[in-house]
Amino acid sequence: MTVRLSEGAIESLSKGTEVNNPILQCVNIRKIDGGNGVSRFRVMMSDGLHTMSSFMLSTQLNPMAEQNQLATNCVCVLKRSVTNVLKDGRRVVVILDIEVLKSADQMPGKIGDPTPYVEGQSKAPSTAPAPTARPLQPQNGSDGSTYRPSAQSFGKKPMAAPNTPGGSSKVVPIASLNPYQSKWTIRARVTNKSAIRTWSNSRGDGKLFSMELVDESGEIRATGFNNEVDKFFSLIEQGKVFYISKGTLKIANKQFSSLKNDYEMTLNGETSIIPCEDSNDVPMLQCDFVSIADLESREKDTILDVIGVCKNAEDVARIMTKNSREVSKRNIQLIDMSGRVIQLTMWGSDAETFDGSGQPILAIKGARLSDFGGRSLSTLYSSTVMINPDIPEAYKLRGWYDKEGHALDGQSMTELRGPGGGGNTNWKTLAEVKNEHLGHGDKADYFSCIATIVYIRKENCLYQACPSKDCNKKVVDQQNGMFRCEKCDKEFPDFKYRLMLSANIADFGDNQWVTCFQDTAETLLGQNSSYLGQLKDTNEAAFDEVFQHANFNTFVFRNRVKLETYNDESRIKVTVVDAKPVDHREYSKRLIINIRKLAAQ
Amino acid sequence: MTGVYESPKTRINTSMLSQYISRPVCFVGRLEKVHPSGKVLTLVDGEGKSASVELNEPLDEELSGIVEIIGTLSNKGAIMATSYTQYREDKVPFDLELYNEGLKVLHDFPQHYPFEVSMSG
Repeated sequence: MTVRLSEGAIESLSKGTEVNNPILQCVNIRKIDGGNGVSRFRVMMSDGLHTMSSFMLSTQLNPMAEQNQLATNCVCVLKRSVTNVLKDGRRVVVILDIEVLKSADQMPGKIGDPTPYVEGQSKAPSTAPAPTARPLQPQNGSDGSTYRPSAQSFGKKPMAAPNTPGGSSKVVPIASLNPYQSKWTIRARVTNKSAIRTWSNSRGDGKLFSMELVDESGEIRATGFNNEVDKFFSLIEQGKVFYISKGTLKIANKQFSSLKNDYEMTLNGETSIIPCEDSNDVPMLQCDFVSIADLESREKDTILDVIGVCKNAEDVARIMTKNSREVSKRNIQLIDMSGRVIQLTMWGSDAETFDGSGQPILAIKGARLSDFGGRSLSTLYSSTVMINPDIPEAYKLRGWYDKEGHALDGQSMTELRGPGGGGNTNWKTLAEVKNEHLGHGDKADYFSCIATIVYIRKENCLYQACPSKDCNKKVVDQQNGMFRCEKCDKEFPDFKYRLMLSANIADFGDNQWVTCFQDTAETLLGQNSSYLGQLKDTNEAAFDEVFQHANFNTFVFRNRVKLETYNDESRIKVTVVDAKPVDHREYSKRLIINIRKLAAQ
Repeated sequence: MTGVYESPKTRINTSMLSQYISRPVCFVGRLEKVHPSGKVLTLVDGEGKSASVELNEPLDEELSGIVEIIGTLSNKGAIMATSYTQYREDKVPFDLELYNEGLKVLHDFPQHYPFEVSMSG
């Protein structure tokens, strides 16, 4: 047995002195269940002379313990660690990287007769090791902070960390942050900064903002509330580097964050944030790009990073959310070197300002994968969208696209809008809609069909609506040249014509009365409502002709169907959500697939 | 030759040619080559296989793109064309591969395409 433990290493570690790759034996390992399902492992290590029980395994190393690689009696080399000083002066060594030299079953037992090390309570946090230390230039202290450039020169080898603006705490890597330590400073780049959000509920009002921080060891999300919003929001700039110390760490809520960190940070009253001028060595955004072809096998609602070429961008559209807020959205087709295409929906200001001309490279950090229309992506409030980012992946992709990618048609992961009028298309024949009692449930059903207009009722198809923007309420003719809108509580000298069309559509098996509002009605008639209103008032023959002409045109309809009850009488009401011309190519493809599927049954 | 117009013409691709010797057929393909004589065309079907078409008269117009041939199959497997039609592709490109998929459906399910049954039966 030729294993030699690094005698004296425990003493050094517990005093906070740097030890280079000490070889230690694991004497005991214990699982500590965290409240929120994240377990941590506490390890007792021996150097042959002494033991110390305050080693914590960082969570990314948990598998080593879970798979029994790291077990009692195994001998390992401690490659990277951080020593934290708790408030009461005790030291905890967080193991960041460890390698097992001799597994437990290769060892006969404990080496030597180590005794628990009793610390001589040294208090010199500034001498604590910073195992990941790298040359760290002092900032230009022009902001009047307490930070002073240190005269020390920092070599390339791990050594004592410099003083930091937070005072005595040292710069630690983000990966080593955990709730068991309090004095720390990180030096990190803000890769994403949210806008201020406010809330108001029974417990009161408040506001918050969040940001994503990155250094070379990892990333973490930080959130500030109320006072911290006032204090820090204007200071934080996306892309800049800051020293941040003394935040509260807690288990991350993965539902809201895609960052690879088990913890997240809340800024508190003691937190200090100071800009760092010299920041070249702090990495930019860290992305873990997933190939578009691989998205198929990922679980829905996963938050992930994607990079692709914007093959095609649709126009921005305004839609109403469930709580009647109007938001902008824009659909974009992304292709990457896998040759597959996926639809990305951008929301809000990203959607409004996006310019798809020139087919830019788009990198999205933290997009949500949805199963809408097969597979599609959506940006979230927390997503970072970068256009033509300055990263190697982007250049590689640009080269590929310009050389060969642009010629690819690219098979889409998303069932494209167009013929189907939306992803997740629920194709039905009109007979199926009736036989399957669509719309009889609590919620409205949606279906798509290919059908031909057989009749459009022209009576009462136009109504006089409020002329103000976004108000389409029917106005009351005051018979004095003025028109009153009850909703706006105003009178107007004019009105605008809007359509509400009743049409009968048919396919090979059945027919159905449907209602079309403004946009879909205009599509069916091929004319806009104001022109139709004019015709109706001035040229009835031409008006009739429009309706005649509209007959026997075939469209792809997307319809909403719901059982509605008026005066105890229930009727199925079908409303056209979307009507589009038939894309015969798509339609044929679908028919062929269906025929083959049926034949295989 | 008038019979070709009156009788059903089976839509076929190159690989089916040999089964339709001396029968009226309809063949759609992309024009690849016109023989210098102007009387022989080479068309490629949706599977990338070529077929030879013989015309009665030399071609007197420019022909390109997707062409539909109606004619009878000779013993040598060439299509003796009765007529040809160039498909317009100015708005939508013709998807020859998709056409070929549709054509295979016709042949795979003759019971649902009685047109075909009367021909082969």
